[in-house]
Amino acid sequence: MQDLEKLKANLKALNAEYAKIKDVPVEKRAEFGREINEKKTAILEQIKAAEEAALESEVEPLDITAPVAPNQKMPEFISSENGSAHPLMTELDRVIEIYQMMGFDVVEPRQLDDEFHMFDSLNFSKGHPARDGYDTFRTEEGFIPPAHTSTMQHRVLKAYKKNLGEGKDIAVVVPGRVFRNEDVDATHEHTFYQCEGVYVSKDCTMGNMLGILREFFEKYYEQKLDISTQPGYFPFTEPSLEFKIEKPKALGGKKGEFIEMLGCGMIHPNVLKMAGIDPTVYHGFAWGGGIDRLVMLRYGLKDVRYFESGKLNFLKEF
Amino acid sequence: MRISLNWLKKFVNINLDNAELEKIIDSRLVEIEEVIDESKKYDNIFVAKVVECEAIPETHLHLCKIDAGSHELAGEDGLVQVVCGAPNVHAGMLAAWIAPGAIVPQSVHEDAPFVIGKRKMLGQYDSFGMLAGADELDFGDDHSGIVEIDPEMAKPGDKLADVFELNDTILDIENKSLTHRPDCFGIIGFAREVAGILGQKFNEPRFEEYAATSSKQVSIESAEICPRYSAIVLKKHGEIRKKYLTLEDTLLSKSGMRPVDPIVDATNYLMLLTDQPLHAFDYDKFLAVGGTSEPKIGVRLAKKGEKLTLLDDTEIELIDTDIVITSNNVPVALAGAMGGKSTMIDENTKNIILESATFSLYNLRKTQMAHGIFSEAITRFTKGQPAYQTLNVAKACAGLLSDGFEISESIDTQAAESKNNVVKITTDEINNLLGTNYSKNQIIDTLENVSFEVEDGDELTITAPAWRTDIHIKEDIIEEIGRLNGYDNIEPILPKHATSEPNKMIVLKSRIRDFLSHTGANELLTYTFVHGDLIEKVGQDVNNSYRLVNSISPDLQYLRQQIVPSLLVKSYENLKAKHQEFALFEMNQVFLRSDGVDEDGVPIANSNLAMVVASMDEETKYYVAKKYLEALAEKLGLKLSFKKFEATKHEAYFEPKRSAGVYIGENLVGCIGEIKFSVLNKLKLPRGVAAFEISLDELVKLASFKKVNHEISDFPTVSRDITITTAKAYEEIAKAIEEKLSQKELIFEITPTSIYQPEGKIEKNISFHLSFADKNKTLESGEILELMNELEKIA
Repeated sequence: MQDLEKLKANLKALNAEYAKIKDVPVEKRAEFGREINEKKTAILEQIKAAEEAALESEVEPLDITAPVAPNQKMPEFISSENGSAHPLMTELDRVIEIYQMMGFDVVEPRQLDDEFHMFDSLNFSKGHPARDGYDTFRTEEGFIPPAHTSTMQHRVLKAYKKNLGEGKDIAVVVPGRVFRNEDVDATHEHTFYQCEGVYVSKDCTMGNMLGILREFFEKYYEQKLDISTQPGYFPFTEPSLEFKIEKPKALGGKKGEFIEMLGCGMIHPNVLKMAGIDPTVYHGFAWGGGIDRLVMLRYGLKDVRYFESGKLNFLKEF
Repeated sequence: MRISLNWLKKFVNINLDNAELEKIIDSRLVEIEEVIDESKKYDNIFVAKVVECEAIPETHLHLCKIDAGSHELAGEDGLVQVVCGAPNVHAGMLAAWIAPGAIVPQSVHEDAPFVIGKRKMLGQYDSFGMLAGADELDFGDDHSGIVEIDPEMAKPGDKLADVFELNDTILDIENKSLTHRPDCFGIIGFAREVAGILGQKFNEPRFEEYAATSSKQVSIESAEICPRYSAIVLKKHGEIRKKYLTLEDTLLSKSGMRPVDPIVDATNYLMLLTDQPLHAFDYDKFLAVGGTSEPKIGVRLAKKGEKLTLLDDTEIELIDTDIVITSNNVPVALAGAMGGKSTMIDENTKNIILESATFSLYNLRKTQMAHGIFSEAITRFTKGQPAYQTLNVAKACAGLLSDGFEISESIDTQAAESKNNVVKITTDEINNLLGTNYSKNQIIDTLENVSFEVEDGDELTITAPAWRTDIHIKEDIIEEIGRLNGYDNIEPILPKHATSEPNKMIVLKSRIRDFLSHTGANELLTYTFVHGDLIEKVGQDVNNSYRLVNSISPDLQYLRQQIVPSLLVKSYENLKAKHQEFALFEMNQVFLRSDGVDEDGVPIANSNLAMVVASMDEETKYYVAKKYLEALAEKLGLKLSFKKFEATKHEAYFEPKRSAGVYIGENLVGCIGEIKFSVLNKLKLPRGVAAFEISLDELVKLASFKKVNHEISDFPTVSRDITITTAKAYEEIAKAIEEKLSQKELIFEITPTSIYQPEGKIEKNISFHLSFADKNKTLESGEILELMNELEKIA
């Protein structure tokens, strides 16, 4: 408390000093005034902190073990009609559920990774311009908040390699949060969600990949769907494709109208090799696509920015 | 990249309608961003002969009578009157006449296209339509005069669109999807692919094979930065033909480039045709810059700090990965990106050095980013142009300029003949990866159509053409077979494979989400990245956060250490939006630098569950938060205890006197408490806001579906209320009652109903509602009375 009084005294002294401004030569008044103001701001901040500290020192302890504060009503939950689950998470759970039904294990990605997993392990040669295409963030240490869930491919292949030895296939999906350094607008977010799929066996084919993807989207949209593809380019798959589905009727789609859902392809032999899997014996396919757009389409949402806005007006609709 | 379908059709026989063609290109070659219909752009524009041309006194205008064939506006003399302001209009010339009612092509894509009409000029001269300049026809920016049409190409009355094949469709291609296919950035390469897709053998247009005539050397710092450098020196021998509008001009325009100068146009045309970028230097200026009598061409890395003024007059400071072309070691061009001002072609240019080279795509990519140059040339070079055709293309370009220039010498650094890539593969390997059943013949045809050489045998021995530097492994060939024959023709079939394991963490989060959202709480997702100010405001150490070096803004510069601070910010925003009371929760990953890295060398990730309970009423929300946490724990089969604890720095925002460590057994799994007054102040939040942050990594190890209290008695349950007056903590009393009831081997439930503390007293009256039953018998009233008496002694 003495501190506080001392600070207040200092402030008073400072105010008194300010009154001397009329004795200062005109050309030096601005500088004089600025100096005093700086000191004043500093003291005011200290006073505020001291006042807060004083208030905090007066805070009464609570019985942290009790169910309620003395003389208060027993606490209640917020009324249940106010509650909401995040639509992205609800849909991600649904996506996971469908893949699990289809026999896929689920692995969660990490939100901070490194150059090796983001690029090297995925057959991006050093300094290749394709690395720039991902607009990655970087930390001071050179770590990377992953720009795609493919960052987990190498880990998944290594962790599940034992399946192959046991005569089983590798079938894993990786749903999670990814990051890109891009400007945010109604259809672009720097933070968004993707789901990766990885499948490896002795005899799987591109036809199997198309079969799995079609099956997934038919289950997700609860209708039969036509699919179509487009050649693509990713260093970690060869051949690479863009995968499209016919826009579902429930979303107002017309016959022949296709929407791009994800990128996919047969895993590049170098990617398998790097994870210690012999590409002359095994091959596989992988895919990755955005979840946000899936959810936006399903709910008819127009602006991706709402997802991370934390606005209850938006969230309570779900 | 823009592809003119009319131009494309000169190289490949297309018998599909445009919509089918677009679809098949889209599904087997490249993503089409936009289809631009130009089939009506030049409607009602005719070739017209200027028959009479009289200057209108005291103006820059001419009154012209033109012959536009048998046009309905023609007078008795068969001519139409037009006033023209262009200085180059003269009798006898063929011009392009935009008839009344036509849209000026330049304005076709504008919101309000400009429709030409009949006008009265200077109050007395009727003027029908207009004679058009190159800019108005959308063939460049030239506004110096009207275009003149070669009388060998057209006659009066011809539709301009017919003469120059302007009824066209333009495909705007997504360049990104051809990142690995430099050969497709020329119309020939693109057409080759289209032929392949249509199942036709592509008829390769052959450029004259040409060998260098001079043994002069180009000094190249390393073959890595410039694998091949070819150049042809051209000497002027006459005038370049009078500048008529040419088919090449229109093709440049349709491809998104602007005709500027006959020499530059020729280099650009060849680039659009072959994908090999060319550059023309003014020979004499080149010598002058170097101070030599013979060109001393060099290619080297720039020195840091060197400066170069480019064609567009911007002076750039070079970086040490830039490649420069030098004249006697003085930089004269930024290789692959843009020429220099000092050796620029102009109307006085007499002699030319025509450069045709390839450069390291890695260096050029850096150049592109460092200087923000996105020219057509660098777009192609950064895809990795192959070196096989540099000199031949330069020769073809020289051929285009032959009426004004002749070759004096040619230089080429081509070292050893580059080997074409060879891949061996079997039919089975192809079909087994694709899930197809293509015959050997179909595979061979598919490849030969796009100029691969295939040697039949047990294995196919496949030699890629020189431009397919991207073909290295079997999968590259498989891609060609799958793609050219259409991936969409592959039958989707589900594989048979084993069942899956549930992921415990995902199951846990799903259960938590379900419970909390059904008890009135709201799930949020907030950014992983936060402002350094927020970290400091809640009292965390900013140095314990991973910091982004390229964040979008200071708001998103640090990785958060915990979730609660983000939820506090969102609480403020939602209170401001007039939500009176809420409980926000989020499950996400957080990082602390002090946690270090895992065995992979990447930062340890912590998965947490956080909740903030906030209300405008300023009452403590600690007990609401605690109720949520305890109820959730019960759902998860967990029994929590709440103990005093030393908060670590990253939890320092909890008020020490009103917060607790959350324990499961001996394990500290998180903390719960009111937020410090000073933190609330900084975040403009009302008093009483409470929060918890719990480790999901710990919960997932311990959670189960077991019920904490499961036993049920078949005998009558007794209900009693009891109030105990005490100064002790609630938990001690509750535990004492629990022990007593346990000793009697009763099945019981203890529900606190109120805590009353009379003013000025230390003691509180804690009231419970008890229900209990014996496992084996009906309790008698004597037993109950005795038990209650014992319980009342607890204090």
